[in-house]
Amino acid sequence: MLTLYRPGTSWFYRAPAGPKAFVLLLVVLAVSLLPSTYLSAAIAGAVTVLAYIVSRVGVAELGHQVVATRWIIVITFGFQVLFLPMESAIANTARVVAAIVIAALLVLTTRVGDLLDAFERGLRPFTRFGLDPARVALVLAVAITTIPVLTRLAVGVREAQRARGARAGLRSFVIPFLVVSLKHADELGDALTARGVS
Amino acid sequence: MTEQGAPTPDTQATAAGETASAAAAPTPPRPAPPRTTAPRTTPPRTTAPRTTTSAANRSRVDATDIARIAVFAAIMAVLGLPAGFAVFGSVPITAQTLGVMLAGAILGAWRGALSMIVFLVLVALGLPLLAGGRGGIGQFVGPSAGYLFGWIIGAFVIGVIVHAGGRKLTWLRTSVGVVVGGIAVVYAIGIPVQALVTRAPLGLTTLQSLVFLPGDLIKAVITVLITMTLVRAYPRAFRSRARA
Repeated sequence: MLTLYRPGTSWFYRAPAGPKAFVLLLVVLAVSLLPSTYLSAAIAGAVTVLAYIVSRVGVAELGHQVVATRWIIVITFGFQVLFLPMESAIANTARVVAAIVIAALLVLTTRVGDLLDAFERGLRPFTRFGLDPARVALVLAVAITTIPVLTRLAVGVREAQRARGARAGLRSFVIPFLVVSLKHADELGDALTARGVS
Repeated sequence: MTEQGAPTPDTQATAAGETASAAAAPTPPRPAPPRTTAPRTTPPRTTAPRTTTSAANRSRVDATDIARIAVFAAIMAVLGLPAGFAVFGSVPITAQTLGVMLAGAILGAWRGALSMIVFLVLVALGLPLLAGGRGGIGQFVGPSAGYLFGWIIGAFVIGVIVHAGGRKLTWLRTSVGVVVGGIAVVYAIGIPVQALVTRAPLGLTTLQSLVFLPGDLIKAVITVLITMTLVRAYPRAFRSRARA
């Protein structure tokens, strides 16, 4: 399945997922707490560019990521510039975009599998509260493998409706799609039970 | 899943506080003393409630629940795909918030909320499943982060209201549940967080997010229609297991 991961070989790619996530979140938090001034906007921008250069992900990818947030830029800045001073509007927009783009470094440089493992490890301390990390990992794995199955089911529902000449609408699609999906869920539940999951 | 751990220390803390206050007060007038004194006499009781809570969780989320939670997370993903069915009239709307409302209405409070958590964890881990192919941890530090967290609580509240008092779903309860949980709760969490992230005044942010209200009201109506149809089309989805 398609993920946001961009293959690469720099040290940042090889860094373990857990500490990498921790450091990135600290940077994001620091950027988020900057005051709403022109200086903050410059700092946020500089930190972002520096993060993409130091991690060797590259300025080109930074460009892609900023373009990907274009609607957030338009909506946040467009609305704030009408009601707030220009300095606040620019600083707030820069801060928000910098936080999102820096956080994106995690999924850009780490495989979903590695992040899943790190997430499962991170849940271990919660075992004492009755949380079962293996069970959580099972649910996540089942969900990931179910997405392509349901996508095929959705395509099947659409094609059947088109073959009958039925009008395409949200409701007329969702009801049969939900029925086949929930039926699949019950079969999946039986299959899990048969394999010893209780 | 991560939310599940949160209430337990609280209840343990309050339970510990109660026993401590009971020990401080020499004459407890309540009819509860045998229950509070019984565990105090047994020293290794700290492990006892833990095993019971974990056993309770384990029996509550069984294989059928795992399958439904996982499948509904996948349904959320499919509803976010760019496809023709996301077009209502001529306005392209995301069907994903429809999934939030449906999760609570169909799966009920706990399973609905857990399916939202599973979906959001997949998004955070880098699967581009949010409408428009967005994903990654960055979505949880952006302006719409509060709405995403609101989905969890929203699905829970919908489940509580829709499934309140027995299994029979009524039009009124389903409508109230979907509007309260799917719109009021999601906005009540999403708008303050958006105001906090963008540092815009709360009133302005509220005004800004009202743009989405007509679309969400339409989706609430569609959810109620779908849910009440599904009760007849696939009643098994609403049938909860016999609880021991």
